[in-house]
Amino acid sequence: MSTLYSDLALGLSVAGSFHGLLYCFLGVFLGTFIGVLPGIGIMATLAMLMPITFHLDPNYALIMLGGIYYGASYGGSTASILMNLPGTATSAVTGLDGYPMAQKGRAGQALFMTAIASFVGSLFGVVLLAGFSVPLARVALKFGPQEYVALMTLGLVAASVIGAGRSIRSLASVSLGLALGLIGLDLNSGVARFTFGQTVLYDGLPLVAVAIGLFGLPEIIANAGRHNLPSVSKRTISMKSMMPTREDWRRSAMPMLRGSGIGGFFGALPGTGGLVATFVSYAVERRVSKHPEEFGKGAIEGIAAPEAANNSAVQSAFIPTLSLGIPGDPVMAIMLGVMMVHGIIPGPNVIQSSPDLFWGLVVSFIVGNFMLLVLNLPLVGMWVKLLQIPYNLLFPVIVAFTCIGIYSVNYQIVDVFVLLAFGFLGLGMKALNFEVAPLLLGFVLGPMIEEYFRRSLIVARGDLGTFIDQPISASIMAITAAILIWAVGSALWRQIERRRQVKNA
Amino acid sequence: MRYVAERLEDMIAGLVTGGIGLFIVIEASGYQLGTLHSMGPGYFPTILGSIMVALGAIMIVTAQPGRVQLTAERGQLRGMIFVAAAFSAFALTIESLGTIVAVSLAVFLSALGNRRTPLLVALVLAVATAVVSVLIFRVGLGLQFKAF
Repeated sequence: MSTLYSDLALGLSVAGSFHGLLYCFLGVFLGTFIGVLPGIGIMATLAMLMPITFHLDPNYALIMLGGIYYGASYGGSTASILMNLPGTATSAVTGLDGYPMAQKGRAGQALFMTAIASFVGSLFGVVLLAGFSVPLARVALKFGPQEYVALMTLGLVAASVIGAGRSIRSLASVSLGLALGLIGLDLNSGVARFTFGQTVLYDGLPLVAVAIGLFGLPEIIANAGRHNLPSVSKRTISMKSMMPTREDWRRSAMPMLRGSGIGGFFGALPGTGGLVATFVSYAVERRVSKHPEEFGKGAIEGIAAPEAANNSAVQSAFIPTLSLGIPGDPVMAIMLGVMMVHGIIPGPNVIQSSPDLFWGLVVSFIVGNFMLLVLNLPLVGMWVKLLQIPYNLLFPVIVAFTCIGIYSVNYQIVDVFVLLAFGFLGLGMKALNFEVAPLLLGFVLGPMIEEYFRRSLIVARGDLGTFIDQPISASIMAITAAILIWAVGSALWRQIERRRQVKNA
Repeated sequence: MRYVAERLEDMIAGLVTGGIGLFIVIEASGYQLGTLHSMGPGYFPTILGSIMVALGAIMIVTAQPGRVQLTAERGQLRGMIFVAAAFSAFALTIESLGTIVAVSLAVFLSALGNRRTPLLVALVLAVATAVVSVLIFRVGLGLQFKAF
């Protein structure tokens, strides 16, 4: 117990320092700012703001990135409630009941409950993060390269099969991402791979350009030609009008707790994350509710539970990322990528070798969520005003800042062109219904998984059986195989069924 | 032929996936393959490329009828062209002409991506953004940008 106190004290000394507070605030503020803009999702927000953090000390960079992440997921809910224009699928669930509430003139209460539910969910997630990461990392220290290959494969396969989109296509996305991650000098042999003679590619593709290109550019372009935005009610939302009724509180308390639990569980699993958590918790609430008919028409439980679940998942997603070095979703992949850019090798050693980074981040989550409460309850009027800025004036400025941001990372013009190329790749993939998230996950993990794969086979003298010799890696591999067989099998099965129906008809 | 036309989206997706996979395999064949015991630089890419060829084949075999969504709205095409132009203009001018020109061009061009933005408004916005970004990034944060 005493170590927990000293750990938290260490974290507080980082997160509570002037710079810690400053960058945490900047993160949640900018995250909410961009996240509240309709149509711009968490990934785009994170990617566009990422260049700022490259100039900071890694501790503060991660604190700020974390702040951007939960700030953006928060801002997305605001846009979703007020305009029914969710930036991400997770906030779409909040809009299911939040927007009807706003139309009934209860926008204030909806926003207030969102804030409280997010806060409760986040705290729950942080407690899980602080409690589980250290023991998990201790176990993981005993892992050999085989276990890492197994875990990474599981993460990639689960992310493509369980996530949105069709699994075969997502698996193709992952493979392409892994291959793109290999571009550059091969560390073992010194051979330049897939560089086509371009020396600028020797260090590999720049993560920031790839991420902004894949996620930011398609969203900017999709919104560029937009003419009219749905209007936000001009009525100012006063603090008084936001106070939920006693009935609201009573109805929200249990859903919030259930949501936090569901979110914490799914957030920590690879490949599921906030999206699955919000949908599951919404479905659970509708099932246990005494008045399921109100769902979709402005039931406050329909906001409280998914919001708590989403934010709890946001925090618990850091558990595998920080303790194993294995990201469960593209946001965590970006976090890992940023760590690597700063020279921190992700893995179970991180907590031990840089406790200030880990505990600073944990404490900053608590601090940042307090800041979000302040930013969003008394100041919600400011965000509502922001929603009234015409988008056609806003997005050129976003384009300019993106240009500056990407250029400022390496001062290389090529990065801007890489961004454009990946933007078109993202658009093309969207047109053919491919998911881009698995590609980014593969891109970040590509070099690591190859390295561990090579190493395990060197240790095992080229015997592929090494992956199923030890119990841990064998059971992880078995789960992965089961998911794969299920995915490919169900695709083929549907095909056979359809053929049979055609024949009978 | 109708069979293919009906399933065009999946067919294209499969062909593109398989094609990229094949390209990876061919490109990787130029690197030393090595053995399982000591893998060369070509081993892992070859595996990945082969997986993509296999996935592409599955996509073609299991193709479902569905239309290709390539008919983007006209506003989107305009936005795409101008936003791409904005990024390219920035990249081509930032080192030779400096931040003011590069940012102005980027803002001006992307503002034109929306048909409703008047020319004059775009121009004012461009200059204002350029001045503000020089103040923030060069003066405020001290990044290595030339103003001119």
